[in-house]
Amino acid sequence: MEIRRIAIWVALAISSYVLVPLAFAGNLYLMSMIVASLTIGGIALAWALLGNLGGLVSFGHAAFFGVGSYASALLVMKAGWPIGLSLLAGGVCAALAAVLMLPALRLRGPYFALAVLAYAHIFRIVATEWKGLTNGAGGIGNIPRFPVVFGYDFASKTGAYWIVLSLVLVFAVIYWRIRASHAGLALRAMHDSEDATRAVGVNSVLLKALMLFLSAFMTGVMGAFNAHYINFLEPDYAFSGLWTMLPIVAAIFGGYRSVLGPPIGAVVVYLADQLVFKGFMPIGHQIVLGALLGAMILFAPEGLLSVFAKRAHWPGRRRVAVASRDA
Amino acid sequence: MTELVLQALWSGVLTGSSYALIALGLALIFGTMNVINLAHGELVLLAAYIAYTCESAFGASPLLAIPAAIVIVCAATAITYLLVSRIRTNRELNSLLLTYGIGVMLTNGMLLLWKADIRSTKSTWLQDAVVLGPFYSMRSEVLFFVISLALIAGLWWWLTRTWAGRAVRAVASNRDAAKVMGIDPHRVELVSFLIAGLLAAFAGAAIYSVGVIQPALGISLTIKAFIITVLAGMGSVPGVLVGALLLGLTESLTTTFFSSALQELAGMLLFLLVLFVLPNGLFGTRWRRAH
Repeated sequence: MEIRRIAIWVALAISSYVLVPLAFAGNLYLMSMIVASLTIGGIALAWALLGNLGGLVSFGHAAFFGVGSYASALLVMKAGWPIGLSLLAGGVCAALAAVLMLPALRLRGPYFALAVLAYAHIFRIVATEWKGLTNGAGGIGNIPRFPVVFGYDFASKTGAYWIVLSLVLVFAVIYWRIRASHAGLALRAMHDSEDATRAVGVNSVLLKALMLFLSAFMTGVMGAFNAHYINFLEPDYAFSGLWTMLPIVAAIFGGYRSVLGPPIGAVVVYLADQLVFKGFMPIGHQIVLGALLGAMILFAPEGLLSVFAKRAHWPGRRRVAVASRDA
Repeated sequence: MTELVLQALWSGVLTGSSYALIALGLALIFGTMNVINLAHGELVLLAAYIAYTCESAFGASPLLAIPAAIVIVCAATAITYLLVSRIRTNRELNSLLLTYGIGVMLTNGMLLLWKADIRSTKSTWLQDAVVLGPFYSMRSEVLFFVISLALIAGLWWWLTRTWAGRAVRAVASNRDAAKVMGIDPHRVELVSFLIAGLLAAFAGAAIYSVGVIQPALGISLTIKAFIITVLAGMGSVPGVLVGALLLGLTESLTTTFFSSALQELAGMLLFLLVLFVLPNGLFGTRWRRAH
């Protein structure tokens, strides 16, 4: 059973590497939409990891995204780092930014969420005012593109698609492995009773902090990827509230308790927003996403994928976590 | 130098009074329902845009827009309440996400209706200078300062002297005990949302009359209101007033001595300082920390 499921996922992954470029490579606009949706999918996955495993709702992931994008761009441009390494460094810098948020972990759920929202604003202001480093509101142009490797130009739309898809899949595997580990068990136990989990010797604050770092790291890497893909940064773009809002809507839509729900949700939500709603309303089209978020919270807080899963009664699905989550 | 400081302090007090109206609404809803309304700043901004429409479309003073703003914003808060009260599981966090979604809808709705341009009042009467001893300010600032004080005094009277107001405090302090005393908590929650809407309507008119507005302002108003409630310690009306004053003063002193670009940053730093040094706020009694 387990092997068959893994085989299905591997087959799906390979076909998404091959079939999507085959089908859409000619349509550069659509391809760039898909790349952007996967970028948001990566953030949504990181956001959901923090929410599901850490039990923390964040309204400030834009801060991690912005820090990662600026860190990577500046390391490549000013320190001459190679681009692959700078992606990791972007993630590390975002995790370091998360260290500054550690005191907020002492706060209860809603306070944490809002403290992080305030943090995100601080980072944006600092990026705007620290002109010596970031060139302020003027932004940074000509950020180096992805290089040509083995004769293939990774700066092309298809190349960027492969990079971002790989990043999201690697994140998904990391998330999946953590959830299945002892730490994942402890984190899930913390949902039901944090006090009881602490009583049996789990350092809950440390585990939450590690999830925050990991989530920040992943978001920072997505930001770094985006910087080299878009080749331009300015504070209002890199730290835009959209990098918080879109992943939240995507994760809630896809189901933030699952690993692949958030990225799939991101692809669906972002493509619908850009290709359909934007057509009706050139500005203000995200009103639909706000309504979607509200409707999901009211009618299906576990996400659409879980609604389908319940309908279909997939065989072999472990329902333990589902049964206990709202205790 | 002294004049500069005094002037900055005066401006801080004037700004703080509008901040107090916004933060009191947020704190009331949090007190009765344990819900942080992330759309609160957007509701204030909605009132500001109603004042703008009143002025630009009908040529009327933004002050005359206040009744219409009260009706519309209170309707919006009532709808917000109805939606939030439908949440069944994990209300504390799900209500954040729901009101965040409502905030996104409001921001984009305002973008649709009023575009992204920056708007400010054209009324010269409101912008005329008023000199009180050594202090300079606009007439609108003084006017709304007085209105805010009256509203705050009225709110205090209502909370301490009337049955409905006492019911609000009763639900905030102990929901179950209040129920035993025959108070319907749902009604009290709705009332607190409506009062928050009323205060937001006045605050919105104040913000439009005194400064500039644009759709992106909503979220930063919410953050300011949250900062003030953190400074205050949740559930303390005098605390909210002191917190609002403190934020207003911090912002105006930063603008005077550094730059206006840094004023938001200074407010945030004040917030972080209080969060880490006094996690229960300046006047708070309620336990906010996780452990």
